[in-house]
Amino acid sequence: MIDFLVAPFGRPYMTRALVEALLLGALCGAVGVYVLLRRLAFLTDAVTHTVFPGVVVGFLVSGRSGIVPGALVCAVAAVALFTAIAATRRVNEDTTLAVLLTAFFAVGVILISRQRSYTADLTAFLFGHILTIDTTDIVVTAVVAVLAGLVLLGLGKELLLRAFDPEWARAAGYRITALDLVSNMLIALVVVASVQAVGTVLVIAMLVVPAAAARLLSERLGVIVAVAVLVGMAGAWLGLATSYEASVGHDVRLAAGATIVLVLVAFYVLVTLGQASRRLVRR
Amino acid sequence: MSRPAAIVFDQASVAYGRVPALEQVHGTVHQGEIVALVGPNGAGKSTLIKALLGLVPVASGSISVLGRPPALARRQVAYVPQADTLDPDFPVSVAQVVLMGRYRRIGWLRPPGRVDRDAAADALAAVGLAHRAADRFGILSGGQRQRVLLARAIAAQPAALLLDEPFNGVDAVSQEALLATIRTLAAGGAAVVVSTHDLGLAQLTCDGICLLNRHQFGFGPPGEVLTPDLLRAAYGGAALELGDRGLIVTRS
Repeated sequence: MIDFLVAPFGRPYMTRALVEALLLGALCGAVGVYVLLRRLAFLTDAVTHTVFPGVVVGFLVSGRSGIVPGALVCAVAAVALFTAIAATRRVNEDTTLAVLLTAFFAVGVILISRQRSYTADLTAFLFGHILTIDTTDIVVTAVVAVLAGLVLLGLGKELLLRAFDPEWARAAGYRITALDLVSNMLIALVVVASVQAVGTVLVIAMLVVPAAAARLLSERLGVIVAVAVLVGMAGAWLGLATSYEASVGHDVRLAAGATIVLVLVAFYVLVTLGQASRRLVRR
Repeated sequence: MSRPAAIVFDQASVAYGRVPALEQVHGTVHQGEIVALVGPNGAGKSTLIKALLGLVPVASGSISVLGRPPALARRQVAYVPQADTLDPDFPVSVAQVVLMGRYRRIGWLRPPGRVDRDAAADALAAVGLAHRAADRFGILSGGQRQRVLLARAIAAQPAALLLDEPFNGVDAVSQEALLATIRTLAAGGAAVVVSTHDLGLAQLTCDGICLLNRHQFGFGPPGEVLTPDLLRAAYGGAALELGDRGLIVTRS
């Protein structure tokens, strides 16, 4: 078992993948708890889709090094737009998000479909390429992780209050829109940091699944954050190891990013089943 | 009344956009006084509380809270919303909710300190729920949750307290605990404004009544405002005549 968990990561490209996956697991686990508390899964999904054309344009303009800047520009623009829409409260938020995210996504697909390596590029952008991650990508993720840590520690109590009782927060004089802008930007940064490793589509699972599983396991916010971080990291490690073992040992090619997501989902299902059976026993 | 004024309504009208919600409110809440906002559903009670919090603009006339416009007095005003507007599944403990009352005093970027935890613990004890501090907020009964929200407001040590229908769906024990705490706060000098459907409770426990239905029908001591004539005028079809024995108000 220990061999299964350790052996694959002797090669440099696997070491880099592991470091990136662990960073992302921790980052997404922590930020995911806030996504869960605010019920922002749909907004997060919208950000992941709107980032897509940014990724494509960045790639077309300056290759791999253009991906993160492109994604960042798009994510920041999208989040500013979403926050402004939510603040006006005049239009139906769901509808607006749905229209915007599909429109952005279609622009991305059209742009990339003009490339010769269409399918390969599309797959990489949608599902990531964690095995070919480079040091720059890891640095980007680490910077975002540090930033997320600072925001969650520094503004933790205000974000908690805003999530729990927004009307009261407003009555106490807090600027809800400003707080929302900060938290939405943070979510956008996490999506951008995850683009290279797990792609724009699978990020949402990295954010939502560990937090949801942790919520099932505890009622205490502090514990939930800790468990979500641990589950995110453990899932990332186990997923990478499984993908490597299947590909190298058994000649079954499992995409690394998707395997990580499936390991996380499997854990979530196990926890759900465990809780359900406990409830049955109690009756 | 020799006590200083805490909240002054001067021919105040409140509107959502161009739609007037409440007009011509005029009266004074002094420090240490409990004033009930009374009126049928949709009368504008919640709107008036939102105006006191500076969340709804005053269209004409003026409202002054502790000598300032409402939006500038927020740090000294504490608000108690209806407990059932909050998500019962939210993973937050009773102690954490009460501690939220201290956040403005603590300020940005800083964690709560010993003083804040002590103030929160005292506030929770004041509503009789010290033993539930570690429980999740959502598992408490409706009345207990309402008491926790009152404790959160007390923890802020406010000069004015605004409560929106705190007695709705609350059991007798919790109602008594809420009333006792509110009285203690008023005795300590806080001005209290509480909206309620319960005319009997308002009459028994409040120093003043503001009778509303889209505009003000009376503002003064319970004996002067809770009269058959004024109630009939404010409640219209919801007022039920009982021959010469008087009048009762239904909730319809």
